Amino acid sequence: MKKKNKWGLLVAPLYLFTLLFVLGPMIYMVAVSFATNNGDGYGFRWIFTLDNYRKMTDSVYLQCFAQSFQLAFTTTILVTLIGYPFGYFMAKLSEKGKKRMMFLIMVPFWTSSLIRLYGWIIILQAKGILNGVLKALGLIDKPLKLLYSYPAVVVGMIYALLPFMILAVYSSVEKMDWDLVEAARDLGASPLKAFLTVTLKLTLPGLLSGVILTFIPSMGLFFIADILGGNKIVLVGSLIQDQLTRGSNWPFAAALAVILTVLTSLMIFFYRKITHVKDLEGLF
Amino acid sequence: MKKRVLAAMLTAMTALSVCGMSALADDNELVLFTWENMFPQEVLDGFEEETGVKVVYSNFDTDETMLEKLSQAKGGDYDVVVADDYIIEQAVNEGLVSELDKDAITNFGNINPLYQGQFYDPDDKYTVPYGAGIPLIVYDPEMVDFEIKGYSDLWNEELKDQVAITANYRVINGITLLSMGKSMNEEDVSVIEEAGQKLLELAPNIRLIQDDNTQNSLLNGEASVAFLYTSQVTQVLAENPDLKVVYPEEGLGFGIMGAFVPSEAPNKEAANQFLNYILEPENAAKCMEYIGYYNTIKAADDLVDPNLVVPDSVSKGEIVQNVSAEADEAYNKNWTEFKAACGQ
Repeated sequence: MKKKNKWGLLVAPLYLFTLLFVLGPMIYMVAVSFATNNGDGYGFRWIFTLDNYRKMTDSVYLQCFAQSFQLAFTTTILVTLIGYPFGYFMAKLSEKGKKRMMFLIMVPFWTSSLIRLYGWIIILQAKGILNGVLKALGLIDKPLKLLYSYPAVVVGMIYALLPFMILAVYSSVEKMDWDLVEAARDLGASPLKAFLTVTLKLTLPGLLSGVILTFIPSMGLFFIADILGGNKIVLVGSLIQDQLTRGSNWPFAAALAVILTVLTSLMIFFYRKITHVKDLEGLF
Repeated sequence: MKKRVLAAMLTAMTALSVCGMSALADDNELVLFTWENMFPQEVLDGFEEETGVKVVYSNFDTDETMLEKLSQAKGGDYDVVVADDYIIEQAVNEGLVSELDKDAITNFGNINPLYQGQFYDPDDKYTVPYGAGIPLIVYDPEMVDFEIKGYSDLWNEELKDQVAITANYRVINGITLLSMGKSMNEEDVSVIEEAGQKLLELAPNIRLIQDDNTQNSLLNGEASVAFLYTSQVTQVLAENPDLKVVYPEEGLGFGIMGAFVPSEAPNKEAANQFLNYILEPENAAKCMEYIGYYNTIKAADDLVDPNLVVPDSVSKGEIVQNVSAEADEAYNKNWTEFKAACGQ
């Protein structure tokens, strides 16, 4: 990459695109976050203020950030616990098995994620499938309140994000050199020790990609909390949306978005520091 | 398909030329400016038959477009406009609305006074209300052991985790204020904060907060009580007529659509005739059933679908209006705190 590339000009449109549609809006957002809200429900003025950031220290808004991080952590941990073994064993399947499994993972993406979420409503609602089955089995007499609860939101998040973790881990495990594991076993390591010292270390970049691919979206997937949580779990994402639409306070929404971006970037930074992974597979 | 399009175009062209010719001939037409599908064809035809005035239906998408077009035309071009309450206030302030000729509108007394004297027309000089949207409480009497009479009952401990509400922060703040005997448009921040505290006490009862299809929660068993918009109330009653509708005793919060005559309307005489015509009980009933909003014409109460009539016992109603920036901020904060408390 360091050599001068004569094809460089061909990439220019991409650079221009990034500048215009990624960097441009970012700068605008940061600028708006320091502007003054008009307060009459329409627009803002370009008068510098720190009020939008000061306002965030209010306990109710801090709580939103805490709530968002808590949900993102819970989701990421559960997705990792399910997705890592899944991806690991998937990579050990026969060629045919791998293909089939890949197909099954991809199929749900043919339908809009929103529609699949409504599918969860049908499963979880009081007169829904799950309650019906439990009732038919005689396990309950009154329908359980499954929908519009925290667990329902977590289920929806896991469902939406699991494929990303599986695919990241799978690609990492698949190209791993199994001879190294064998060597470790030959030298007397127990299967567990061989896994921890060799396999896990070697697949860490994949796992980390998976974690990031899960963690970042889960900070933003507020519509899952809205649909399956009955709007009762206020995440930063829904707070930003509220401020942009109903609250009509664009500067505050921009300030929230800036802080969210900064916090998420910090998270990625720390992940990489802690795990000493320089290069994330499939990312960056 | 092509043939049909062509046929439609030909018909439209013929209609246009005929209409143009008749306009040249006697100039007796009325330009009605409102959203799509606001009047049944039957009523428009009936008006033409009775008066010989042809109605030309012109439509807009949003209130804001209407105001823009009307001010470009300097209050001319259109004879009757039907739009929402808040935009009428702006139109009046901009001098785009003319006073009604009440001598010509002999049916003016048919209007339900509940919908009169509102902020956009305090002296009833400019408008004829044309349908109202009213968020109401609906509940399933099989699942609720007591009679719900007003907003305060939503706080009843028996309703723990059973109430579904719409997601409009001003309306929910508003009904809390109404339950405290205050105005929905309270400006005093300390009173709003008090309402915020009261709203937090409602949190344990909330099953879900949602703007779209909130009524489904009553049908699929998720909630036993719901606070719904008018269209949702109508839909849910069609699905399950056994549900009970509550017209809260503390007073209603509503939105009103009003008909007015622009200041420079080309055919004011026909405009007044038209307003008089839609105030006839039979015609009003047809119109209200067609648009599916609450009937604002008292004299038509007996003729219209009973689900669209607010009972006489309700005498108070208020419209949510814009408030000061500080008050709005406080309402917003109440809402966020409330939602967060609901998830605990």
